[in-house]
Amino acid sequence: MTEPNNTGMTRRGAMGAMAAFAMLAQSRMASATEGEGLKIAVIEALSGPQASSGMLFLSGIEYGTRKINQAGGFNGKDVEIVSYDNAGTSTGASSRFQQAVADGCHLIVMGSSSAIVSQLSEDARKHALRNPETPMILINVGSGALAMTGERCHFHNFRMFPIASMSVAALTKVMGDEGTLGKKVFTINQDYSWGQEFQAAVEGRAAQGDFKLVGSVLHDVNRIQDFSPYVAQIKASGADTVLTGNWSNDLLLLIKACADASLGVRFGTCFLDQPGNIGNAGVSALGHYVSTLSNCELNPEFAEDFRSEMGHYPVYNETGATVGMGFLAAALASMEPGETVDVEAIGLAMEQTEVEGDNGLQSMRAEDHQFVTPLVVSRVDREAKYPADDTDMGFLPVARVSAEELIYPVQDSCQMPRPT
Amino acid sequence: MDFLLISLLNGIVYGLLLFMVSAGLTLIFGMMGVLNFAHASFYMLGAYLAYAISGHLGFWAGVVTAPLLVAFAGVLTERYLLRRVHAFGHGHELLLTFGLALVIEEGIKLFFGNFPVNYTLPTQLDFSAFALSGMSYPFYRLFIAMIAVAMFAILYLLLKHTRTGLIVRAAERAPAMAQALGHNVPMIFTGVFALGAGLAGLAGAIAGAFYPTSPTMALDLGAIVFVVVVVGGLGSVAGSLIASLGIGVLTSLTVGMSFRLADLASTIGLGDWAREVGGLLTVPVSAVSGAVPFILMLVILLSRPAGILGARN
Repeated sequence: MTEPNNTGMTRRGAMGAMAAFAMLAQSRMASATEGEGLKIAVIEALSGPQASSGMLFLSGIEYGTRKINQAGGFNGKDVEIVSYDNAGTSTGASSRFQQAVADGCHLIVMGSSSAIVSQLSEDARKHALRNPETPMILINVGSGALAMTGERCHFHNFRMFPIASMSVAALTKVMGDEGTLGKKVFTINQDYSWGQEFQAAVEGRAAQGDFKLVGSVLHDVNRIQDFSPYVAQIKASGADTVLTGNWSNDLLLLIKACADASLGVRFGTCFLDQPGNIGNAGVSALGHYVSTLSNCELNPEFAEDFRSEMGHYPVYNETGATVGMGFLAAALASMEPGETVDVEAIGLAMEQTEVEGDNGLQSMRAEDHQFVTPLVVSRVDREAKYPADDTDMGFLPVARVSAEELIYPVQDSCQMPRPT
Repeated sequence: MDFLLISLLNGIVYGLLLFMVSAGLTLIFGMMGVLNFAHASFYMLGAYLAYAISGHLGFWAGVVTAPLLVAFAGVLTERYLLRRVHAFGHGHELLLTFGLALVIEEGIKLFFGNFPVNYTLPTQLDFSAFALSGMSYPFYRLFIAMIAVAMFAILYLLLKHTRTGLIVRAAERAPAMAQALGHNVPMIFTGVFALGAGLAGLAGAIAGAFYPTSPTMALDLGAIVFVVVVVGGLGSVAGSLIASLGIGVLTSLTVGMSFRLADLASTIGLGDWAREVGGLLTVPVSAVSGAVPFILMLVILLSRPAGILGARN
């Protein structure tokens, strides 16, 4: 159900996240007794080079928590969030995990870096085995590594983020519908799990005959300063469109290098909305696409509310984190208040939850805990309601792609033991 | 052919940028024996100061003023920080500069935020120099190269053919004797440190407008600059020029290569076996181009431990 123009999509589902928060309010009003309060640990990179994305995850999670509390909290008490700085390393994350256990946290919500998510997920799995009375659940709102819903899946791990093939499917579908995909596609990615999976997804799409893949290349992660040799390669391939899963500097430098060489290719990306990208790339960014969980232009009320709470309009990971938190809020709202916080019950409630969000109908797949979510594809445009980086350009939502068009089959490698 | 030519040109320009940053580092090490971990931070500082100034006074004012301010920061660093710990040996100096790098990085985040700032080229410099097989080549890349070449020429002439250069080299070889002859050696050291920092600042002011000016730019370039200095020979300006160009060209050329070790094996009839084994044998050269400088450093350290033009070969 894509809607190639943006007229039909402004209101439909716009109040989804709000409705979830409101539902929570009603169920809380009914409770007279107060039970144990819910504690959420945010284990993020709050210092060091990855702090830029970690801080945004934190503020998105903080907003979501405030909304839950304004609607009455959980078990009649405010949900408390405790933030821990993992300094961008897995070892740091692991020791912060132990600290969160000692502090009595019930859930971990975070998103930066596949390596850290994988570490924390493993920690949560072992913790649940050793302490069946007090398990903890990891809610990952930002990593797309396939293994987390494959051979490393377990009950206490939830992924509220699309995998590479979902993003690629959304991008190719919408760009195809808009007539901007072209016939020849080049894909360039970072050489680690995410980039490799993105490349495989593009190859898969090409095999279906949507377009011809004229080249693909993997490169070191965040170590390349000069992308011009890759630009020469893209030029030589004659590509119309470049699909890339790159993020941070690897994306910005790539786009700048293409613009400097006056290479008129169109980009389909997943992380173009990172602050600084549009300002640095300038007008050359116009017409590039980005696939994200949501876009705050779909719901101006949410955008304004976020601004009044956090002081600015939601950007980048903040938007994604609020989608995950909105879903968690709906799951919490569906539960009866109790004396204690039953972590397993929260997990089971999430599996049963369905939310009509700003992007469309979201649900959680019980078999592997993959977020079955629609995606929003936006285009860099001067018509956008919320300009980025003090420029006149912003991300104009083009179309929403429903979850059933994107979702992938459960991987055979995922054998998830259920809580007894 | 055009692809090769463009790659070569890209490599040379990138190499010259590396040289701009590493020249100061090697100079400081050569003269003072200080391995300055904060050097790339001076590069970043230059870019941010140029960005801040250019917002008010225009691009050129930023490019001229920022290096001077960074040089002044270098003076303060040498005079009030490094000189105090100098007596305790190189380990202390190293730790001090490492700490300084962290302070500069967090300070920049505090003032300018976590994300890249909009430091972009002025429109009069934003045009293409020429076009080669449909790809235009930005003039600004050539501009970076010209600045780097001019910088090398001036540095070389200054050190080898002026009286100032003579005194500086004397202060490096025999500080006690130079002091006995009436030269103010501590002030010479301060001057050298300021010059090194200022050069990094200039590189930042110039390159920051082309590559993004972000809080990670010091980290991005930090490691590679040390590689350049080690490969070129610690303390040798000419050596670091050769190393920069070599690394730039090698990185640029390997990016376009889809050659695998398995292809080599197939020439002697072992191709199928190699593809079955997989692993390193089927990794294309292009995927490891970021590692090329480090492999080069390993080779150099094994064969010529003091670097290409190092003094102790």
